[in-house]
Amino acid sequence: MSAGRQFLGILGVNLAAVTQRRGAALTIIIGVACAVGALVSMLSMGVGARQQEIGGVRPEHVMLTSTGAPMFQGTIPRDEAITVRDLPGIRKDRDHKPIVVFQAFVGSEARRRVTGNRVFLPIIGTTPNITEYSPELQLTAGRMFRPGLHELVASESCVRQYTGFGLGDRRDLRGVDWPIVGHVDISGYQQCIVLADVETLMSAFSRTTYTAVRVSLQSPADYDRFRASLESNPSLHLEAQYERDAVAGQFKQLNALLNFVSLFIGTIMAIGATLGAMNSLYAIVDGRRRELATLRAIGFGSGAIVASMLCESMLLAVPGAVLGAGLAWLLFNRMSVSPFGFSFQLAVTPSLALLGIEWALAMGLIGGLLPSLRAARVPVTTALRAL
Amino acid sequence: MRFLPLIWSGIWRKPGRTVLIFLQVSIAFALFGVLQGLKTGVEHLIAEARADLLLVRSRAGFFANPLPLGMLEQIQSVPGVKVVEPVELFLGTYQRPTQRVGIVAIRPDDTWTTAFTYSISPQALNAFRKTRTGALALVDVARKYGWKVGDHIPLQTNIAQRNGSKDWTFDLVGTFDDSDIGAGRGYILINFSYLDEARLTGQGTVQHFNVAVSDPRRATTVADEIDRRFANSANETRTESLREMAQTSMQSIGDLNFLIRAVVGAVLVALLFATATMMMQSIRERTPELGVLKTVGFTSRVVFLLVLVEALAVFVLAAVFGLALATLVFPFASKFVPGLTMPGIVVGLGLACAALAALISSALPAMRAARLQVVNALAER
Repeated sequence: MSAGRQFLGILGVNLAAVTQRRGAALTIIIGVACAVGALVSMLSMGVGARQQEIGGVRPEHVMLTSTGAPMFQGTIPRDEAITVRDLPGIRKDRDHKPIVVFQAFVGSEARRRVTGNRVFLPIIGTTPNITEYSPELQLTAGRMFRPGLHELVASESCVRQYTGFGLGDRRDLRGVDWPIVGHVDISGYQQCIVLADVETLMSAFSRTTYTAVRVSLQSPADYDRFRASLESNPSLHLEAQYERDAVAGQFKQLNALLNFVSLFIGTIMAIGATLGAMNSLYAIVDGRRRELATLRAIGFGSGAIVASMLCESMLLAVPGAVLGAGLAWLLFNRMSVSPFGFSFQLAVTPSLALLGIEWALAMGLIGGLLPSLRAARVPVTTALRAL
Repeated sequence: MRFLPLIWSGIWRKPGRTVLIFLQVSIAFALFGVLQGLKTGVEHLIAEARADLLLVRSRAGFFANPLPLGMLEQIQSVPGVKVVEPVELFLGTYQRPTQRVGIVAIRPDDTWTTAFTYSISPQALNAFRKTRTGALALVDVARKYGWKVGDHIPLQTNIAQRNGSKDWTFDLVGTFDDSDIGAGRGYILINFSYLDEARLTGQGTVQHFNVAVSDPRRATTVADEIDRRFANSANETRTESLREMAQTSMQSIGDLNFLIRAVVGAVLVALLFATATMMMQSIRERTPELGVLKTVGFTSRVVFLLVLVEALAVFVLAAVFGLALATLVFPFASKFVPGLTMPGIVVGLGLACAALAALISSALPAMRAARLQVVNALAER
């Protein structure tokens, strides 16, 4: 009998007998399910945060900041900002005006709905063409702010997270009442965003420079052309970056932290599950000493025995992984969290489930290695004497 | 006591199995220790943070709206205020753009240390006061970059000097330590008067004021009174104690509590299941031996207890080992969450959990062992 047929034969016997070793099999499945479940649900934080930040950002969007300043902390003079409009490669709106958004960020405070704590909340002053720049920004109630008026527009998530963002509520900025005149929704974005007219906000806070300038290009390929003319213009002291990269840079630290924590916990749990699987497999091998010795006696090779045991342990790990990933999905998918002051929804994605299955296979393989070697080395004579 | 050898030999009946269970339990409790240590560490930090030190900053947030130095007298005049010190903050980089060093400019007058959480040796304090361009480095920073007292430290910043240069050089005159964790572990102290005279713009403004109050119990009242004085002015303030600030920044981690609890729950469930099936298997294999024990006069109760104690011993020892492992991880994890600790309560809770897990997982097998009929047990031989 060839080694391949031997392998298939033993594997078939193994799997048929799984129901008789329910305890051991369930131990492997549940152990792996818990480890994979924990790994997947922890990693879903990082994935969710990334999805929210990067997912909504279009590849043709570009951010400008003043040379040397970090993104979102620039000081861009008005004349420079206006010059940006004449650069090549910029998409035009219906009125054939280039889609260039000027923004200024100022600090304010909001009170958390649940805890009542006051937390820092930036208010984004923007030119009204923000709706051209991000069409996914949808007005859900009220209207947009009017240029020149002290008015605010808040995202739906502000209403959920903080008090005082209902339609018609008034917020005090620099001793002036700013009513909330509209609510917007930005598809899937959980972070609270408050918008105001940039010029009004800047004069209220006696600012003369913009914090950031955002540009929508005709296509991502126009970036090089746009950047070259930006850098060759001696009157502009600005740096450009794909908005996607700029945002990713902002969240690099948070993502590194989330991933470190996830992998740390996932690894520890995987080691635990592997040890559990190893113990169960040893028990299985011990329980089958006679059977294995008989197989050896009638001419089955030890290679086939090792391979079939390994295969069995990996096959037992897979339903565990599916169970774990499924539980993670049921419990945590789309759950809103705000660790470290940043709100997003957890995302349990198919690729995470796949990663979980890969880990499970590794756990099955490593956990099965030593027991299967012992199975192959069962001394035929002593084992048969025990009959 | 006379049962000890019996229990011992029971534990080591299958050494491989026992070692694996031991490792599995250890790992579970190492994870438990790290996660719980994180949680209690955070709570501990909040409790430790000073409630009697207030920070007065602009309501518009840090860096958005510098406060004029003249506010100092107004704050000083609020009843209950003991000491007010101006603090200016900016960021520098050392040699490489990734090596960031925070720069905290303060005025080293006679009383300044009472408004801060620093511990500085008298010599360093004296040298700092005498050297205009002097700097004190947090011990962590000095160690990281290998700075020695007497070194000239060049830092690149965003703040221009009068001569146009954005590079500043400070003379290291000593090191200090900070008991507060809110400010991070990577900054140096410099003289505010030197900075303010040498810089091109922003003279006479600071990021915040540190305030020490004379009666810690009245800290909240004093904070509210300071904010009230500047309400509706161009420089509206927000006054918080260091403890309040720690609370706010740490609360965000609290949102993860549910996740942490779910993970710990998953660990314990997996562990319980694995060990319970192992114990069952073990009792099944030992049926004849237990039968012999009963034949020679061991009562069902003693057999029941023997099995329980065996599990208890393995679990508790493994939990101790696991919690010890967790403390080894702490220095590593402190990169992300400073001040991790393993207080007695976590150790106690861990051991209690271990005992509970041992009892639950061995109760069924122990019951089975106790109910064994001698005849049937021996027949299996």
